Amino acid sequence: MDRVIAFPLMGNYHVPAKYLLSKISDCKVMDAPKITSKTIELGSKNSPDFVCMPFKYTLGTYIECLDMGANTLIQMGGGCRYGYYSELQEKILKDLGYDFEYYNLVSKGYADIFKIYNTLKKINPKLKKIKSIYHFIITKNMVKYIDKIEDYIRGNKGFEEVDGCFDKEFNDMLNSYLNNKGLISLYLRYKKYKKRIKNIKLKKIDKRIKIGVIGELYTLMEPFANYNIEDALYKFNVEVKRFTNVTYLLFEKGKKSKKYLKKLNNVKYKMGADALDNIYYTKYLIDNKYDGIIHIKSSFCTPEIGSMGIINKMCEENDMPVLFMSMDSNTSKVGMETRLEAFYDMIEMRKNNG
Amino acid sequence: MDKCYLGVDIGSISTKGVIIDSNYNILSSNYIWTEGSPIEAVKRLIPTLKVPDGYKLSGIGTTGSARKLIGLMLGANIVKNEIIAHAIGTLNYYPDCKTILEIGGQDSKIIIINNGIITDYAMNTLCAAGTGSFLSSQSKRIGVDINDFGDMALNSKNPVKIAARCTVFAESDLIHKAQLGYKKEDIVAGLCKSIVLNYLNNVGKGKKIREPIVFQGGVSKNKGVVKYFNEVLNTKVIVDDNSHLMGAIGVAILSAKDNSNLDFNLDINDIKFETKGFECHGCSNSCEIVKIFKDDKFIDAFGNRCDKTIRIKQ
Amino acid sequence: MKIGIPRSLYYYYFKDLWINFFDFLDIDIIVSPKTTREILDLGINNSVDEMCLSMKNYIGHVFYLKDKCDYILIPRIDNYGLDNQTCTNFLSSYDIINNLIDTKILNYNINLRNNETELSGLFKISSLLGIDKGKMKKAYIYAKEKEKSIRESKIKENIEKLNSNKKKILLVGHPYNLYDELIGKQVIKMLTDLDIEIIYSDLFDTNDEFKYYSKELYWKYSKDNIGSIVKCKDKIDGIIFISSFPCGLDSLVNELVIRKLDKPYINLIIDDVESSGGIETRIESFVDIINS
Repeated sequence: MDRVIAFPLMGNYHVPAKYLLSKISDCKVMDAPKITSKTIELGSKNSPDFVCMPFKYTLGTYIECLDMGANTLIQMGGGCRYGYYSELQEKILKDLGYDFEYYNLVSKGYADIFKIYNTLKKINPKLKKIKSIYHFIITKNMVKYIDKIEDYIRGNKGFEEVDGCFDKEFNDMLNSYLNNKGLISLYLRYKKYKKRIKNIKLKKIDKRIKIGVIGELYTLMEPFANYNIEDALYKFNVEVKRFTNVTYLLFEKGKKSKKYLKKLNNVKYKMGADALDNIYYTKYLIDNKYDGIIHIKSSFCTPEIGSMGIINKMCEENDMPVLFMSMDSNTSKVGMETRLEAFYDMIEMRKNNG
Repeated sequence: MDKCYLGVDIGSISTKGVIIDSNYNILSSNYIWTEGSPIEAVKRLIPTLKVPDGYKLSGIGTTGSARKLIGLMLGANIVKNEIIAHAIGTLNYYPDCKTILEIGGQDSKIIIINNGIITDYAMNTLCAAGTGSFLSSQSKRIGVDINDFGDMALNSKNPVKIAARCTVFAESDLIHKAQLGYKKEDIVAGLCKSIVLNYLNNVGKGKKIREPIVFQGGVSKNKGVVKYFNEVLNTKVIVDDNSHLMGAIGVAILSAKDNSNLDFNLDINDIKFETKGFECHGCSNSCEIVKIFKDDKFIDAFGNRCDKTIRIKQ
Repeated sequence: MKIGIPRSLYYYYFKDLWINFFDFLDIDIIVSPKTTREILDLGINNSVDEMCLSMKNYIGHVFYLKDKCDYILIPRIDNYGLDNQTCTNFLSSYDIINNLIDTKILNYNINLRNNETELSGLFKISSLLGIDKGKMKKAYIYAKEKEKSIRESKIKENIEKLNSNKKKILLVGHPYNLYDELIGKQVIKMLTDLDIEIIYSDLFDTNDEFKYYSKELYWKYSKDNIGSIVKCKDKIDGIIFISSFPCGLDSLVNELVIRKLDKPYINLIIDDVESSGGIETRIESFVDIINS
């Protein structure tokens, strides 16, 4: 039987993930279908009620992939409850009668490079250390380049003169990354698209409204999970700032907690998952005179629920508008748009009267 | 001819309409049940609203959950979300108002106002527990007409405690309390009180509720809920006679301020207005699209994440 | 000087240690009373709406104490070593509460991966209170012994009950839920009235037993809960899981165990404790099944 690998989606990271897995496994790597309401339906139906949303989304994606012929599933989540998803998801899928192999790259909630290598070795026994290190480095850079470009886009997409310019260049860039021919080739592609994206014509606006988007990582990074909140904000001509991305989570977060605790005088400890990070971002956004903060998370996300009280207090003390959004499978797009629209209107009213 | 303006607020449960003059006085108003179909509801509502002789309709505004759809249907010059609409409407009558509590059919919200500017607001995050639709489904369950609900609650001396954070828990608790033989009025009063507590814990949490407080939305017509707001907040909340119309009034005012000077007409009954939903497969996004047809002519679509759909499916 | 101890969360893990420790040092303590509706309401009114019932309850107990003592004792538990983490509420409750009240908080941190132990933690707060190091050490040894003997006798009693002739039900849940007056006590009372022998999941010495159900589990308290099932499943007639809504860990771990379980069980998720009606019906019918 030929191995067909599938993995759950999150934002645009399926590009580096697919690159890595296809280089390293020498097998077919499936493009998981984009998350739709059917995915959520499938996921919710087979999940425990009070589990957080990412569990339901990824489970739904697995079911869709298995139905499309995947036979090897890979889970890459780590941290908080994500780390424990795999064991229960495997059980649920086996109970549903699917036959497949399941590999968890980030078991027990943390990433261990040797463990990842050993797991990948199980998938591809011919895997060589040198080769895998080389492709790890390329993948890491790819993630870094995507994050850098996305960061720029977030700041400017709300002001593009012609709609769709950013999307087009960005998608072309992602496609070009997939068939890069090595480190240098990847770098040149990054350079090329960076130049093109920075050359996109922008509308001149005197006082840009700037909004920071913070919260739980999956809901922030997967547009379907957040009803494409960033695109909705661009329509209001808003500059968006988001701190959370994979580069940050994998390569920077570990070192930053101490710095955050030093700079914050209202928190003493790490509070689990990204709660401390989000409290720090709140301070950053207040200090840097942003116009509003949107905190977004999956329902029942315990660490973020813990951070909300503190974030709310900081915003109140500093007269910073904040909008909390909790996503579950019943959240409606209309309800979400109403809240966003009102938030924007409120900020504008405050700006014009302040 | 004097100018007048129409505001329509289409909620999940009820549809409200109002016509105001340029001094924002109400000339005509009505509200009816939405019954799941905003288009049909508006078609029934509009003929009941009279543009008085000597007036010319110079603006239309829509708000509420179906604001976009109905905005297209009526050719509105203003389509605004209900938070802003409610605030504008309320400020017209109570310029000093600092807090607006609103409980509608599916949504509830709190709006904090400072010097006439919205400075903060929140909407319900959890399920429909504690909103109007929850109240009416529970009143059916215990066999009380929703219109008698408020008066009945006022008769109670001992409201029963009911767990109302989540609809599922609330229903099982309610059934249980009914079986234990509690008096109906005590159960009804308990429901009213639980709505208030649930609202303050969910929507009002962390917000500074300062007087004057205006309470509106369909549930504000329920005297029991008003009583427990007064009791729990230890103050007197203001409930306007037109509290259920504030959204419609607000958006009518916004349409007046817009000064579009267009000519509007309300002969919508002959117009065939249709929506069709489908899942677009133009790309892998698989968006769920709602397409709108006026007299069989495609006029717009929403739900799409790109403009491909409209190009392909037109 | 008086130290307040909220009767919730940490209390159910450390009460014997703390009470004897402060007793030896002649320091006054005040433990908040058994949970009442008023205490829980204090919690509900002062916490984020989406928090789990147990955390709200804890906040309620803290608010009850805040004007009745000089310090409130709130530890923080990061981990009990590698692969032995806790729910994030145990990581965040200190900071959450420190941002809610002005009362001084006595706080220490347990992070065994970083060599921050219970002893070093108690040492830290003792020096803050001006207690001599030698005296503190004696108090710790004394309290630790007391704690050990109390626990041993409770475990012995729990295990002896497995030989009872009555029908036996294992209650699986976190001790702060099982023994809370408004959360678990109602279940215990109903079962006692139905003449059931109750076995408690926290009163076992467990080790790696949890692996029978879960290879990947890395939460200490969940491991203990699940391990208890492995230890006694052949001697019991049924299992009742008790969780507070919406417990993140239980939502995953209990589901996995339930899918592998070959015993009758019910899964009680308790939100607002006023709704005990439904629980009663479920427990009665469960006991009927076991008895038939």
